[in-house]
Amino acid sequence: MKSRTHFFALLILCLALTACGGQPTAPPQAASTDTPATEEITEPTETVAEEGMLPAVDPLAVTGDIIASGSSTVFPLAEAMAERFQDEGYAGNITIDSIGSGAGIERFCVAGESDIATASRAIKDTEIESCRAIGREPVEFRVGTDALAIVVSAENDFVDNLTFEQLVAIFSGQAVTWADVDASFPAEPIQLFSPGSDSGTFDYFVEFIFAKDETLLLNAPGIQLSEDDNVLVQGVLGSPYAIGYYGFAYYVENADALKVLSVEGVAPNQEDVDNGTYPLARPLFLYSDAAIMQEKPQVAAFINYFLTYVNEEIDAVGYFAAPEEALNEARQNWLDALAD
Amino acid sequence: MTNRQTLPETPQTGEYASNLPSRHRWSTFWRGVFRISTVIGMIVLVALLLNILNSALGYAAIENEVDPASLAINGYTIEQLHRDDLVFILEQNVSAGVFRKLANDIPFDQRDREDVYALVLEWVVAPQVVQTWPLYDSLFRRAAVQAEAAAEYPEAELRFISWLDGDFVGNPQSSEPEKAGVRTAFLGSLWVILITIIFAFPLGVGAAIYLEEYADAGNRINRILQTNINNLAGVPSIIYGILGLAIFVRAMGTLTSGAFLGAADPATANGRTILSAGLTMGLLILPLIIINSQEAIKAVSNSLRQASFGLGATKWQTVWNHVLPGALPGILTGTILAISRAVGETAPLVVIGASTFITTDPAGPFAKFTTLPIQIYQWTARPQAEFHNIAAAAILVLLILLLSLNATAIIIRNRYSRKM
Amino acid sequence: MTHTIQTMTTLPPQESDNIAASLRKRPRIRESIIQGFLFFCGALSVITTLGIVYELGKESLNFFVKVQWEETNKELAQAIGAGDTVFEVTTTGSALAEETVIRMGEEQMLLVTINGTSLEVVRGYEGTAPVEHNSGVGIAFAQKVSVFEFLTGTEWSPQVGKFGILPLLNATLMTTLFAMLIALPIGMSIAIYLSEYATDKRRRVLKPILEVLAGIPTVVYGFFALTFMTPLLRLMFGSDTVSIYNTASAGIVIGILIIPLVSSMGEDALSAVPRALREAAYGLGATRLETAVKVVVPAAISGLVAAIIVALSRAIGETMIVAIAAGAGPAFTFNPFAAAETMTGHIVRISGGDLSYDSIDYNSLFAVGLLLFFFTLGLNIFSQRIVRRFREVYE
Repeated sequence: MKSRTHFFALLILCLALTACGGQPTAPPQAASTDTPATEEITEPTETVAEEGMLPAVDPLAVTGDIIASGSSTVFPLAEAMAERFQDEGYAGNITIDSIGSGAGIERFCVAGESDIATASRAIKDTEIESCRAIGREPVEFRVGTDALAIVVSAENDFVDNLTFEQLVAIFSGQAVTWADVDASFPAEPIQLFSPGSDSGTFDYFVEFIFAKDETLLLNAPGIQLSEDDNVLVQGVLGSPYAIGYYGFAYYVENADALKVLSVEGVAPNQEDVDNGTYPLARPLFLYSDAAIMQEKPQVAAFINYFLTYVNEEIDAVGYFAAPEEALNEARQNWLDALAD
Repeated sequence: MTNRQTLPETPQTGEYASNLPSRHRWSTFWRGVFRISTVIGMIVLVALLLNILNSALGYAAIENEVDPASLAINGYTIEQLHRDDLVFILEQNVSAGVFRKLANDIPFDQRDREDVYALVLEWVVAPQVVQTWPLYDSLFRRAAVQAEAAAEYPEAELRFISWLDGDFVGNPQSSEPEKAGVRTAFLGSLWVILITIIFAFPLGVGAAIYLEEYADAGNRINRILQTNINNLAGVPSIIYGILGLAIFVRAMGTLTSGAFLGAADPATANGRTILSAGLTMGLLILPLIIINSQEAIKAVSNSLRQASFGLGATKWQTVWNHVLPGALPGILTGTILAISRAVGETAPLVVIGASTFITTDPAGPFAKFTTLPIQIYQWTARPQAEFHNIAAAAILVLLILLLSLNATAIIIRNRYSRKM
Repeated sequence: MTHTIQTMTTLPPQESDNIAASLRKRPRIRESIIQGFLFFCGALSVITTLGIVYELGKESLNFFVKVQWEETNKELAQAIGAGDTVFEVTTTGSALAEETVIRMGEEQMLLVTINGTSLEVVRGYEGTAPVEHNSGVGIAFAQKVSVFEFLTGTEWSPQVGKFGILPLLNATLMTTLFAMLIALPIGMSIAIYLSEYATDKRRRVLKPILEVLAGIPTVVYGFFALTFMTPLLRLMFGSDTVSIYNTASAGIVIGILIIPLVSSMGEDALSAVPRALREAAYGLGATRLETAVKVVVPAAISGLVAAIIVALSRAIGETMIVAIAAGAGPAFTFNPFAAAETMTGHIVRISGGDLSYDSIDYNSLFAVGLLLFFFTLGLNIFSQRIVRRFREVYE
């Protein structure tokens, strides 16, 4: 049932791209993308394979170094894919630095030192301009989704779902006790936990709950901020009246002691994250440049491999798969980058 | 012998006789205080070490991804099968890419049966740790742990494992905690600390000798120099990282990347190498070594120097043959404290460009690298609990590395220290 | 028998020349080279300082002098022409203030009045050319930080343009205070014990063991503070008074980290005092305590103060422990059981952060680093004056 919608979406996408790009792209055969990764047959081919949009890549035949840096959120995923790439035969040196999305894009666009930038947010216009200033044109590849979980202690037995208004009231400090949020809740003071102002998680939360006005959250009286999500977990575990938010993976690992709340009636699970009904889901990206991918075929091969097999590894890491359309768009971007 | 005469009564003797016991009491009291302080120091150290050990050892519930019994062919279990059958099982159960790579490394007909069996265990049966328990629970609440394991993970095997084992030290990094190791990080740390010592030790001791022996102590400039060095000891390490980035990585990029020696490919070479890291760390610990060496040299009694001069030695001969050996214990204390600091630094190295994930061992000072503290920090920030266990194991590796580095210095220090 | 002693009052001419020549001071090349090398070693520290001050100063200058543009996340709700002075903006994003300068694209404008979502501006401010802008263009507002505000402000919230360093400075001082309260007494006591009371064998074993404390990575200390020290404090003072991130536990753990600095360096200084002084004191009937405290410690004061200064500098400059255990929220509070971010914790957090690299947050960290540098410099000059005063008495 889903494959049909996907097929049509894909077809329309490709037609649209053909119209825009003006370059001949062979429309890929249908139904490829429901099971994202099949065990590819051995021979490396240059043409688009029957199954799957991207040509199969043989890691044994790939040589050279790959330099990637960027988001600490994307790091576990990139590490898993790089390790898998090496397990299947890649013999070169791949290094990944976990320095933050901003710093990773800076290394890619200003210093020009890296081949791939990983980011947990979209690249900004100012950053694209810096890239162009050094002769690089960033190509975006969406590789996954990180859901934000709003979490309370498992001992909290009174709240299961929060509306946007309630979240605003809680996290801006307007609601001082739980009873202020809902009269049926106990009249205990709310303890707030949040990542610090320089974290991508924080940025995303503010964007959705506070319409990008971060001052309300930062000025909430008594809010505890920390950069380390594990530390926030400890904080929320400490009291039944604590509430915090952080990456979904941190909730999963402590699922027996924590409870995740639904937002506006939607719980974070694959389906709702995928179709966008769960609002607090942020995209994970890779950025590279067409010229780099052509000069260093190992970079192109790695990105290809990444896009092909990412959905097999993403669950283990704790994130959600990106929607099929986004992955296909990424794959199309890959094809376009090499077609120049 | 003079005649025994009674001492005249002085005004103080009465008081003198009476406050002796109280002075002794005070002395005993404070001796107790000093002893207790030392004991407190030891207790804290033991608490820290136990905290680390608590995570590094313990019971683990291990589940196999694929039940070995299901791999049996014709009723023969995998322990009984021949090599070719095992190769067949491998081929059926791993991805084509992995199979190709294994065949590429060593063709299967050249591998012996034990080798292939090990591969089957690693790649097909793939034991995964699903739950760990801290050492304290594993030793003292064993029954409760076993009950919990039986209840929640009935198919898992409960085993007491140490996360720190030979595999851990020998394996490169991995995204799976069971397979991950610290080899690359350990070698990286070792290389960096060696370059740090080679750079900082002679320069630090040299600066101290200059300031104490050759420079005029009252001179304004030298006082400024002294204040300056003391101040540098307090600059946060990350500022040194920024400085190192600007100087060693960017400005001296051709030198530190090895391009001038032809040791690196000029197209991809950049200064983010072990050499830059070692030099930056050297700058970081330089003030510590200088201050300690200065104090040690100051403590050598002047009469020793003057005796040497009196015999006609030159300044340098005096310093080298008499002052330095006497000052060596203090200099070595400074070195030990400085190495301890340098080995544990994370932030400045990240700024310099240490990688967080890298699997090739550093080939020389011009290679990209990672270090143990960076791995530890990365693993403690992960949500999965098994990563915290291997972080604890990595900390133990770090401490062992530190102790071995310090051991040489400690032995030399003990040999040279004597009460004057 | 008599024996006339012939004294030579003068040497024969050639020999005297030779001897005189050989006794004359010769320029020794090797000595000069060595001296030159040693001078270079000393000068290296000056070069390092100059490098640090230059790097920090350069960026700090940027921070204070240049106008910083902070993204408000507000955007134009409609496209505007080059002459429009009234237009609509989106409701998202942080609030704007009247009488401030805003920027769209390359053009700067002076914001005159705000009516709900409608802004009235003066176009082409500061000599920039008025141009047309499309809908959706982001608005940035100008921030200029004065040095005075930086040094005296009591709120650090870059998002609203508040750049007072006092909260961070205060938190640094509090953690340092706690650290020294722990490290000084314990470290000094250990040093006295090791040098005066312990047997040789015990000292050789205990000293290296305690030095291991200096080698444990600071990340471990950070988590130790969070998982061990904070619960301990909560047990002692109650869960309500002690919040989960607090400066007290971070400070105590920093104190534990620097105990070996005080104890090992202190022990070295005390051991270096010549035995003659101790024996003289014993000869006059002093007890062990009196010898240690009244004779040895004053004689070793320069080494002890050096140890204290090194420990203090380390405590001020410690980054990881405070980043983990003291929280990520700047707060101006004298309550040690509340969370407060220190200067170093702030530097580490911002430099490793996820958000835009070139933002005002990032540029501020150089200014914070520079302040820290001058602060420790002041501390060092002050303590050196004190040391010199003491040293004159006991030299």
